[in-house]
Amino acid sequence: MERVLILLIIVMFSSCKNEERHLSTSNNKGDTLTIEYAKGFSIIQFKGYKTLTVSNPWPNSDKNFTYLLVEKGTDIPENIDYDLKVEIPIQKIVVTSTTHIPSLEILDENETLVGFPGLNYISSEKIRTRISKNSVTELGENEAINTEVLISLQPDAVIGFAIDGNNKTFQTIQKSGIPVIYNGDWTEESPLGKAEWIKFFGALYNKDQQAEAYFNTIKNSYTEAKELAKNATSSPSVLSGSMYKDQWYVPYGNSWQAQFIKDANATYIYEDTNGNGSIALSFESVLDKSHNAEFWVAPGQFKTFEQLAETSAHYSQFKAVQDKKVFTYSNTLGSSGGVIYYELAPTRPDLVLKDLISIFHPELLPEHKTTFFKPLQ
Amino acid sequence: MSSNSVLKTNNLSVGYRTKSEVIRIAKNIDLNIAEGELVGLIGVNGVGKSTLLRSLSGVQPALEGEIQIMEKSLKEISPELLAQTISVVLTEQPISKNLSVSELIALGRQPYTNWIGTLSRNDKDKIQSALELVNIESLKHKRCFELSDGQLQKVLIGRALAQDTPLIILDEPTTHLDMYHQAYVLKLLKRLTTETNKSILFATHEINLALQLCDKMIVMDKKNVHIGTPNELIEQQVFSNIFPSDLIYFDKDSLSFKIKT
Amino acid sequence: MPYTKNYYGLLIILVLVMILMAFLNVSLGSVHIPLKDILSILIQQDVSDSSWTYIILEYRLPKVFTAILTGSGLAVSGLLMQTLFRNPLAGPYVLGLSSGASLGVAIMIMGAGLIGGTAATFLISKWSLVIASSIGSLMVLLAVLMASAKLRDTMAILIIGLMFASLTAAVVSVLAYFSPAAQLQQYIFWSFGSLGNLSWPEVGILSTFWFFGILLSIFCIKNLNTLLLGESYARSLGVKISTNRLLIIIATSLLAGSITAFAGPIAFVGLAVPHLIRQVIPTSDHKILLPAVILGGSILMLVCDIIAQVPGSEYTLPINAITSIIGAPVVIWLLIRKQKFIF
Repeated sequence: MERVLILLIIVMFSSCKNEERHLSTSNNKGDTLTIEYAKGFSIIQFKGYKTLTVSNPWPNSDKNFTYLLVEKGTDIPENIDYDLKVEIPIQKIVVTSTTHIPSLEILDENETLVGFPGLNYISSEKIRTRISKNSVTELGENEAINTEVLISLQPDAVIGFAIDGNNKTFQTIQKSGIPVIYNGDWTEESPLGKAEWIKFFGALYNKDQQAEAYFNTIKNSYTEAKELAKNATSSPSVLSGSMYKDQWYVPYGNSWQAQFIKDANATYIYEDTNGNGSIALSFESVLDKSHNAEFWVAPGQFKTFEQLAETSAHYSQFKAVQDKKVFTYSNTLGSSGGVIYYELAPTRPDLVLKDLISIFHPELLPEHKTTFFKPLQ
Repeated sequence: MSSNSVLKTNNLSVGYRTKSEVIRIAKNIDLNIAEGELVGLIGVNGVGKSTLLRSLSGVQPALEGEIQIMEKSLKEISPELLAQTISVVLTEQPISKNLSVSELIALGRQPYTNWIGTLSRNDKDKIQSALELVNIESLKHKRCFELSDGQLQKVLIGRALAQDTPLIILDEPTTHLDMYHQAYVLKLLKRLTTETNKSILFATHEINLALQLCDKMIVMDKKNVHIGTPNELIEQQVFSNIFPSDLIYFDKDSLSFKIKT
Repeated sequence: MPYTKNYYGLLIILVLVMILMAFLNVSLGSVHIPLKDILSILIQQDVSDSSWTYIILEYRLPKVFTAILTGSGLAVSGLLMQTLFRNPLAGPYVLGLSSGASLGVAIMIMGAGLIGGTAATFLISKWSLVIASSIGSLMVLLAVLMASAKLRDTMAILIIGLMFASLTAAVVSVLAYFSPAAQLQQYIFWSFGSLGNLSWPEVGILSTFWFFGILLSIFCIKNLNTLLLGESYARSLGVKISTNRLLIIIATSLLAGSITAFAGPIAFVGLAVPHLIRQVIPTSDHKILLPAVILGGSILMLVCDIIAQVPGSEYTLPINAITSIIGAPVVIWLLIRKQKFIF
């Protein structure tokens, strides 16, 4: 009896795993694209069309979005369930987050970008050239996107991101006939999972193989670096985040930022915490627990040690500050002041990992020039 | 009849000055109040009694003429000295009813106390005598919200007494009181003038009572201000002309107003 | 005034409670530090864990002083405002001090960000916030005073102050609407209020303002008592109404303005403490009320801060939430008791 029970459980688990990949289709003839790390989307390829399902557009969402991506001239069967239909390959696109930009550049689809809210945040040099030629229209801030201007651009699709399901602007845009596709890359917790969203864009431009090939190089580069890190002789303690007034905001242990620290063979002080976003902790407890941390990475908006001191005398109590082992990405900016890390890091986790490894274990990567993280000035 | 003048006016004219015009309420007032006199101010509602009292006590500037307090020009007296010369009892209620009776009366000593308001031996004696003069010693620990209207009125008079000024000005001290207490308060005022030799000027509607008690009276009608002893004013037929004659008339025999039948 | 002897005993009790609360405040926090170590640190001996010494001497101890200065300063301001305006709902902010501070800080944090373009990298230093808050308070205060200078009525100042509060709130919301998330967050965090952010030099500066504000209030005690009779009676007793009003307003501005600049806008303490004290010590004599309110305000603030630190846990709560949670029921309770409510 017990053996039957165990067998049943094993069968249930394995079928559970498979079921995720077949959620949105009633047609068995589709090929599911391999997605190894990302948990927020899946793609099934059919003849002449594919379904793209985004299952985690915002944290704890209970809504899935299935987008039907149809190549020009294809007939679609009638019994397919979908939320929106989009014609591909996309010729004109509006994206709403700088994290979407690198994918466009990698897939060589810069020319399709017609509008973006907050042009100054974009660092990509090729797109900045297009911006300076006025080929990309300014659309305002995300919660207050100028809908009139956007609609007048008539893009084939708008790639949106939402904190929750109540974004009225996107609803207005959809009502006008322009499809809004939610991108949930920012909810991914694993570094490779986030990077894998390049396949999301690959599907939109019908360049799935290119996307997959590029992702594989990143994956290999990342995995190599991770293996290399394991050779380190010690695992230094690392602190992240910064204070506001007397409350310290640190990333959760299961967050994307914390993963990097772990993969770089270092110990993140708050690795045992779980949740979304950042935790607010009392200054006392952070000082007590982390004042001996060897490194401090990503200290919020600070650019110089002087700024640290000006904001609070408490920072000087930390060993990492006294030893000047503080590293930030806030000093690495694009030509218009946008932080390059926010734009490029999700797509190039391998570079982030190598940066961190070269900081924590300089002997392993002596030649590496850091892309994002620079010492605090 | 004593000779010292406590309050003297010369050709006084009171009213309001706005940006565009001057509203004259009353003019040509020549008033002289001596020590120990009880003076009643009579007039219909709205004729300007409060305005006159405010001008005399220094709160409101007069339009024309001179006011002299204790032989000094009102304009030249500093606020501190004035507080030791004139005290008032107004129609408005004190704001904080949480004060005890003795605390309220003690506030009358403010012009004499030091920077933080500590009461000296002398201050406490004055407070005690004020309590006795108005006969409220038994109430001295009660809070003002526990008192009846009549009792509160006595407390306010007591406060003015504690201020120990040669002149006390009261604006309608008998409103809201029943007939017995009206008589009580006015008799109290009379007694105070004889016992303490202070001068008391009060505005009232109780013409009948005032006629019996006052040494002098000021009667304001729309055109003029008449000043004199009650007898003088009766002879001048002043009282017959205050009110419209269709409803009440002044009966010279009983020295009171009666309803026309 | 007579009968003040009875209240000296209560005042002494308040002093003792305050000292006790101050000690509790130093002892309790997110990090558990044993009593023995606390005592030895306070008496200037070395302890094994240097971070503990730092936490006690450079974090918790300045916080205790900040709490005392803030609580007492706001409570005194509240008392002054309640007596001046003869209104039990008046508090330290009716003159527009906190709305002016909010406006100044909002312009500094959010406005500068808007002008700066890619605002994400703009940092605000502590001192610029203090200065922005002070200038904002001062500007709105002057505006309120100028607008009410023409009017002889003291009550008018109250209403004009409220109007300016609405005006500044509107401007702040426009700034917030156009502000990027990081800036908005900074502004909102400022508005939570914070006692633990002052270094010893800053505590020193706050103490100086507090000292002069309290000193001025002491000189106003006699006139405040006289004002209990109303302005007309006060005038007849020799009080120079406009000079007095100005002194009271200056004292309030020194206290509430400096506190808001250093600790942010802290709600309810100013409004609730005078009422709480009046229930415990039923006198109207400001000679007693002033010290009582100073002690009561300190105690309340210390207690609220202890709660806000959520001792034993790594989390803390914003101080404004705690003061409101305690203060609001007090106000409601007072209004319900109106039958017996004597002010």
